[in-house]
This record gives sequence, C-alpha cells and structure tokens, in this order.
Amino acid sequence: MSLAYRIARRELRGGIRGFRVFLACLALGVAAIAGVGTLRAGIQSGLADQGAIILGGDAEMRFTYRAADATELAHIAAISTTHSEVYDFRSMAVIDGDETLTQVKAVDAAWPLTGAAVLEPAIPVAQALAETGGLPGAIMDPVLIERLGLTVGDSFRLGTQDFRLTAALIREPDSASAGFTLGPRSVVRTSALANSGLLAPGALFETRYRMTLPAGADLAALETEAETKFRDKGMRWTDSRNAAPGIERFVGQIGSFLVLVGLAGLAVGGVGISAAIRSYLDGKTATIATLKTLGASGGLIFRTYLVQTAILAALGIAIGVALGAAIPLLAAPLIESSLPFPADIRLSPMALIEAAFYGALSALIFTLIPLARTETIRPAALYRGGTGTRGWPRKRWLAALAALATLLIVTATLASGIPELALGTAGGILAALAVLALSATALRALARRLARHTRGRPALRAAIAAIGGPQSDAIPVILSLGLGLSVLAAVGQIDWNLRRAIATDLPTRAPAFFFVDIQPDQIGPFLDRMTADPAVTETETAPMLRGVITRINGRPAREVAGDHWVVRGDRGITYAATPGEKTRITEGQFWPEDYSGDAQISFAAEEGAELGLKLGDRITTNILGRDITATITSFREVDFSNAGIGFVMTLNPSALAGAPHTHIATVYAPPEAEAAILKDVTKTWPNITAIRIREAVDRVAEALSAIATATAWAAAGTLLTGFIVLIGAAAAGERARIYEAAILKTLGATRARILASFALRAALLGAAAGLVAVVAGGIAGWAVLTFVMEGDYVFEPLSALGIVLGGILATLLAGLAFAGRSLAVPPAQVLRAQE
Amino acid sequence: MPDPVLSLTDARLTLAGNAGPVDILRGISLAVNRGETVGLVGPSGSGKSSLLMLMGGLERATGGQVLALGQDLTAMDEDGLARFRRQNMGVVFQSFHLIPTMTALENVAIPLELAGVPDAFDRAQAELQAVGLGHRTDHYPSQLSGGEQQRVALARAAAPRPALFLADEPTGNLDGVNGQAIMDLLFSLRDRHGATLILVTHAPELAERCDRVIRLADGKLA
Repeated sequence: MSLAYRIARRELRGGIRGFRVFLACLALGVAAIAGVGTLRAGIQSGLADQGAIILGGDAEMRFTYRAADATELAHIAAISTTHSEVYDFRSMAVIDGDETLTQVKAVDAAWPLTGAAVLEPAIPVAQALAETGGLPGAIMDPVLIERLGLTVGDSFRLGTQDFRLTAALIREPDSASAGFTLGPRSVVRTSALANSGLLAPGALFETRYRMTLPAGADLAALETEAETKFRDKGMRWTDSRNAAPGIERFVGQIGSFLVLVGLAGLAVGGVGISAAIRSYLDGKTATIATLKTLGASGGLIFRTYLVQTAILAALGIAIGVALGAAIPLLAAPLIESSLPFPADIRLSPMALIEAAFYGALSALIFTLIPLARTETIRPAALYRGGTGTRGWPRKRWLAALAALATLLIVTATLASGIPELALGTAGGILAALAVLALSATALRALARRLARHTRGRPALRAAIAAIGGPQSDAIPVILSLGLGLSVLAAVGQIDWNLRRAIATDLPTRAPAFFFVDIQPDQIGPFLDRMTADPAVTETETAPMLRGVITRINGRPAREVAGDHWVVRGDRGITYAATPGEKTRITEGQFWPEDYSGDAQISFAAEEGAELGLKLGDRITTNILGRDITATITSFREVDFSNAGIGFVMTLNPSALAGAPHTHIATVYAPPEAEAAILKDVTKTWPNITAIRIREAVDRVAEALSAIATATAWAAAGTLLTGFIVLIGAAAAGERARIYEAAILKTLGATRARILASFALRAALLGAAAGLVAVVAGGIAGWAVLTFVMEGDYVFEPLSALGIVLGGILATLLAGLAFAGRSLAVPPAQVLRAQE
Repeated sequence: MPDPVLSLTDARLTLAGNAGPVDILRGISLAVNRGETVGLVGPSGSGKSSLLMLMGGLERATGGQVLALGQDLTAMDEDGLARFRRQNMGVVFQSFHLIPTMTALENVAIPLELAGVPDAFDRAQAELQAVGLGHRTDHYPSQLSGGEQQRVALARAAAPRPALFLADEPTGNLDGVNGQAIMDLLFSLRDRHGATLILVTHAPELAERCDRVIRLADGKLA
C-alpha cells in the first residue's frame, strides 16, 4: 500500500461531512447523463427489436402517387411470403356542418401484416372495415372522432363516398413509420374508395407494399436488388433494420443534445466541486505544512490528496450511476406507455460507462488546479497562518488541464454522432461560462464603485461591500445560476417570438389554405369561385406533379448532392410558360412563352447553389415512373418562408405534356372567412383536400414546443445543480456570515438589519445573475431567430422578468437557509472563538 | 460623589461545557465610575474577557444584575443590547475583528451609519486621520498590517463617541512597538472624549496606567 494512500485513508477518517456538495454536484450530473443515455438506449433497442411491427412488415417498398406496376408486384410476390398494399393520403373527413383534415390509410385484407391494431370496441379489423348497414366500415383516431363529434355507428364522407364509423383506433401498430402527418388517422378498405373520386390520376398519395420475408432472408441483398431494379422508377426501400429512421434520428439527436446539456450540468457542478475541494484544502494548509516540515515531498502531498479526491469522486459517480440507472428503470412502465413508439428500457452498461467516464473526467478537471496548488504550500505557512492554496500552479498542470478538457470535448463530440451540434454546444457552454465569469468580475468592479453612493444605508452598503470586496460570492453565484438561467431565458425568448410570429405575422403574410388534388377540369371553376368571393384577397394556383431527382449530369443524385433535402425524397415540380410576376431570375434566361423544344428547368437559386449546380447542368427526374431529363437554363429566387407556393424546379410546359397532374392553390382570406370557404369547397369538390395553414403551423408549433419543453427541463436540471452549488457556497460561507453578524451586533446592528443586509446581498447577486442570463439568453434568442429561423426578434420582457425573479428567489433561498445560525449565535461566543 | 457608569451585582456566568456546566464568573459585584480607567487583570481562564463581554452586553449574565449607564443589560433582548451598544459603547478586541469585506473607511463608518449619523463618512475619515491612517482609507483589512488593523479598530470604537470604552487585550496580537503605540492612542482617545475605559490586559505596565486595577482569579474578584 503506497504512503500516499495510507495518509489519504487516515485523512478521510474524519468522514465526508465537508463533501456533501461535491458528491451532490457530481452525482446529479452523472445521474442526468446516465438517465438520458439509458432512455436513449431503451428507445433505440425498442425500435430495433420491434422494427417489423413499426414498419408493418419485414420490408417495405414505397411509391409516390402511383401503385406498383406489374413488374414491381411480381418482384414483391417473388421475394415475400405474404404482402399487403396500403394507400396513404390526406383528405377531408366531412359530416353535415363540419369537415376536417384526416390522413387516410386505405388497406387490403392483409393489414396489419405484423402487430395488431387495438380498437374500441375491441372487434377484429376485418369486422370493423366490413360493410355495415349498407356503408363500408371505417375506424378513426379518437381525436378525429371527438373533433367531428361522432359516435360509433355515425356516418361520414371521404370524397364522395360515405362510411360508417365502427370503432376508434386506439393503437395503430405501424404509426411510427409514417413520419409527420397533419391530420389524425382514418382507416378504410382500399376497395371502398373506388367511387370516392379520391386516388384519381395525379392525386397526391403514397403506396406502401409491406412484406413478410422467409426466415433468414438477407435484407441487405434484397435492398440492393430492389434498388438496382426500381430506384430510378421512384421506389424507396425500408426494412426492419431501420424501420423508423426519422424517429431514430430524432431520438438520437435529442438524446445527444440532452447528454450535452448533462455535461453543461457537470460544468456548473464543477464550480461547486472545485469550491468544495478548495475549501477542504484551505483547511488542510496546516496539515500539509506540517507534513512538509516532516519531509513530505510536493509530489507525495499531491498524490495524497488526489487519492482522497478520487475516492470521493468514485463515491459520487457510483451514486450518480445508480440513480441514473434506477430512475428510468423504475419509471419504465410509465415512459414506455406514454411514448408513441416502442421502447425497451433496461440496464444499458454502455450508457452508464459513458456517464461514469464524463463524471470522472469532470471531477479531475475541476479539482486538478486546487490539488496542484498543494505542491506549492511551504512549511512556513504553519507560522505565518493564512491559506496556502492560492496562486497559479506549475505550467505542467495547466497543460494537463487543457489536455483533459480537450479529451472531454473530443469524446463528447465523437460519442454524440453529431459533431456540429456537440462542438456548437461545447463552444456555447465554454463561451457562456467565460461571459458569465467576465460579467461577475464586472459586477464586482461595479459594486466597488457603487459602494460610495450607498453611504447612509448600512444594510445596502454592507451588501454591496460584500459583493465587491474580498471573499465575494459573485463569481460562484453567477457561474452556477447563470448557465441554467441563460438557457431558460433563450428558450423563453424564442418560444414567445415564435408564438408572436404565428399569432400576428402569419395571418398577414401566409395564405389561409393550401388546396391540393384539384383536378385539371376543376381548376377553372375553382378560380372562378375564389375570384367571385369578396373575402378572398388573393389566389395563386400552379400545376403540380411530384418527382424524385435521380441523376445530376448522369451521375446518381445522392452521389453528387449527398443528403441534401432536395434529393432526399420526392419534390413538387411545376411547369410554367412564363416566370410569373413575382419571380426574379438571378441567372440565365427563362424560356420563351411558346417554347416547345428540349426540356428545360428553372431551378431555385439558393438550393441550386447548395447543390453546386450551374447553368447547363442536366437533371433527371423520375415522375410517376418515367424519367425526364432537362437542362438548367435559369436560376430564380424562391421564398419558402411565407408558406406560399414555391417550387424548387419549374419546367417548360411541353416537357411535362401528357403527365397526369393536379393543381394546387393557395387562398388568402381573413380568419373569419375561412370556415365558409372550406365548407363550400369540400361540398362542391369533395376530392379536393384543404390544408388549413393555421392548423399545419399549430402542429409544427406543437412539435417545436415539445423540443422547447425538453430543453427547458434540461436547463432546469442544470439550474438544480446550480442551486446545489449555491447551497454549498452558502454553507461554506456560513462561518464568515456568523463572524460578520457578531461584529455587526457588537457595533450596534439589530438582527433585522443584519438579516436585511444578508437578504439584499443574496437578492442583488440573484438579480445580477438573472440580468446577465437575460442578456445572454436574449442575444442567443436573437441569433437563433435572425439567422436560423430568418424571422424578426422582439425582446419579450415578461419571461425575462421571470428569469430575474427566479434568480433572486434561488439566491435568497440558498442564502437565507444559512442565515438563521448567524443571527442566533451570541457575539461573545463567536468573537471569543476567534481570539 | 461617585457616579457609577457601570455596576454589577452578584453577576454570574455559567456556560455549557462538554463535561457539563462550567461556572465562568461566580458572583461578581463591582462599580466603575464615570471617567475612570480600570484594568482587569488575572491569569488565563480567570474570567477577565468574560467579565468584559458581560459589561458590553455581548454575553448575557446567567445570574445577578449588570447595570450600564443606569440601564439593566440583563433585562434587554439582543436587539435592545445592540441599540444600547450603538449609542454608548466602543469595543476593541485582541484580534481586531474588522469586517473583511469592507475598506478601512467603511469599517469605521459602519457604527455611525447604524446610529443614523448623517455625516458618517466625514467623521470616519477624521477618525482615521486621528489614528494616522488617513492615507489607507480605501484599503481592505487584508491589505493592512496588524498594527494598522488595530488602529482602524480603535478609530471604529471611538467614532460614535461612546461613554464606555471596552478593550480586550488590544495589544495581545502586536509587537512591543506597535503595542505601545496602540496603548498611547487608546489612552489619548479616552482622554480626548472623557470616556470610561475598561481594559483587559496581561501586561503589568499597562495595568499601571489605569486608575484602578481589578484582579480576577477563578471567576471571582481576588
């Protein structure tokens, strides 16, 4: 057993009383990271294990706006044991006096191929979709049933076909693979739609062919085979290895982000960890000086206290890992049942190891400097008194600190899988901590200047003096509270500005409706109807087809453009003889009005630049299974921000001649006119689907709000750590406060006055932390809204006030929690102890 | 005609110790007259400092009566005692007991501010000048030497012009030269303001400078 360890063990006999904050900060940070990691692993394992159920089959081939042709169907039949055909599209569910958007799933008798649908009443799917009382059966999401005020047995209409509601769809087994939808689900038989007028040529729908495969089927080989044969015809393949890529990516990103926020919590906790070790080592100055007098080397002293810190850190990490594993496991039934996709939460050793690693590294980073300073304590400290753990340690320790911090950032970056986000977050945290530290220093300087202006108000002056003078708490308080409050302030500002944009800007800038699936013979009467309506201020229409960009200059598009959103899925494509009044050509020339030569494309300028396209490039697009290759002859500006009509690609009309297509329209009207327009359009043209922009934006806002809530919770976690650090600082400062109170009492201060001074000091520090956070959060909010969301930013005072009040409350609670003793202890007792 | 500014009648102090209650002061009765300088002497642990604390209302007697300027200190609550000290007493300690977060000037001004004196800082400045520290007003205690800190403490005690000066071994932490200077200063302040001075000391030469010396042994007057 080494001497350092033996001495360390003797030193720790005194117990861990002074290390509660150290342990709490470390345990909390590690628990947060371990908990998030366990949840993420659970969701990922759930998605992997139940891939076939989520997908609705072992594999799926998906087509846009068409069903599989005979060759494709033959391929599906050849490779699968069973298969099922599903149509997926938006439509209007209509009852007398009301109508609403629904996402329709039209299925065959084989659905669901895997998993089971849960219905209320609990009847088989076949029975639910069978004809009842002369009408085909339908099942609906309970949200939709409630919105339309239906009860089981009532009828409703899709297009021109009436259906009878037979059950509520409580659980849809393959819902997670559908991605983001605007309307709640309805399920009907495909055969029942024959007379609905929906699914006409050019209508917007997807078909999905789910397959069960023979045992031991090689999914990768099957994917390659299907891709080779059908990719250029617009087929997309998914299989149970990665059934819900969207969810998996989202969970992965949110999980990584929350791990990074957990690291921010550890950074805040580090302030407490560092303070606890410093205070402990300050108390050990005499012991260290004595050991040195007796011949101990600086290295032995360093190792002795490093061993003690390591033992304590191991304890803190163990508590954190235990909590981080236990809480998700205990809450597993609740979490699993509330998620819309399967999760299988269980012990995840990798998540726990990752959390323990971060904990150990953080503990080392935040204790290294105080530990290294012990080397420089001289035996003379015994006689001169004072503390010896101040000043800069040797350069090698600073280099070691930089190396450890780099290791932490690099590990977090690599482990997150999203380096940009990780580096951005790490940079943000470091920048925020630097800004907070600078602000705290500036606050101290300001307090020193203000002190002379508070003469005659002793409680205030004592408070200001304590902030500006030696032993000030300004830096630990602002660092510990500031980070969490800054994130909350930024979330508050962004959330409010988004809501404001939705509530006030949207009605003036965005249309009221998107109408889709307008058949060519309906567009004339539709335009007449809108033009005749005085409430309609503007109507824009455009023909629309959907297609997948498959090649750029003869090379596969994905090879050229990577994962850019324009080549990721199918895109809307339009044709036009003229550029249109609002269009601005940025490069090249738009074709003449009567042009009928080789196919030409006018491409969106910004997206074209991102893809590296230039005039003369040839783009091959698969539209309804047919390849069309066209040359880029112009670039034009497209504004996607106002929800109006915007196409990445516009072709000359003759290039798309004969391709079945529909029209889309945007209609601008005040909110009070929306209901009448909707009713009239759905009644006159039942096949036309109306998307209310307000509802669509609400759905997006809900999704954003969920992310904001998750971020706010994460920030609250950081704040909790910060609060523990505050408690620690207040506990550490209790002796100083008791001493100060004793002197003030001796000089004639009443307890109320002393309490007021302590409260003022805490409140001023809390307010300062809140103000710094509001400024930092405001700047972050402005940057996000201006540069990321390309919107306007207006400062929101109410949430900012909440942040400042929150800061005051936190410091008051922590500060006053320890004020009682300083007021109660008789001055003689304190002053005598100091003599 | 004697004019007692401080009188103790059978004053007792018992404190709780690890091994049970400890009798620190066992029935002290004495009177100190206005303008008098009194030296409290005795061996370590005899109760000198505790008696001074009792006189300053910093410690509450567990028995008997302590009257200061005609007021019964044993009948006052803690805040009442604080207000009384603010107006009537200046206390100097062996360990100076300056507030570490305040500058020298602020330390001297604080009792005046507590008493609501409007020109607290001007007076504090003058007091610091008087103790020879007019040039160190903006220094924090940690930036001052022991002798300088004790001079600040003296200025602070003298600033409110108290009727009673209580000093607990004010030179105990200082070397001979500094100690001598502080004592000269203490006596000159007392002379200038005509206050009563009660001084706890181990130093016989200091006790000799007092009008009267009271000896304590084992918590009783010897």
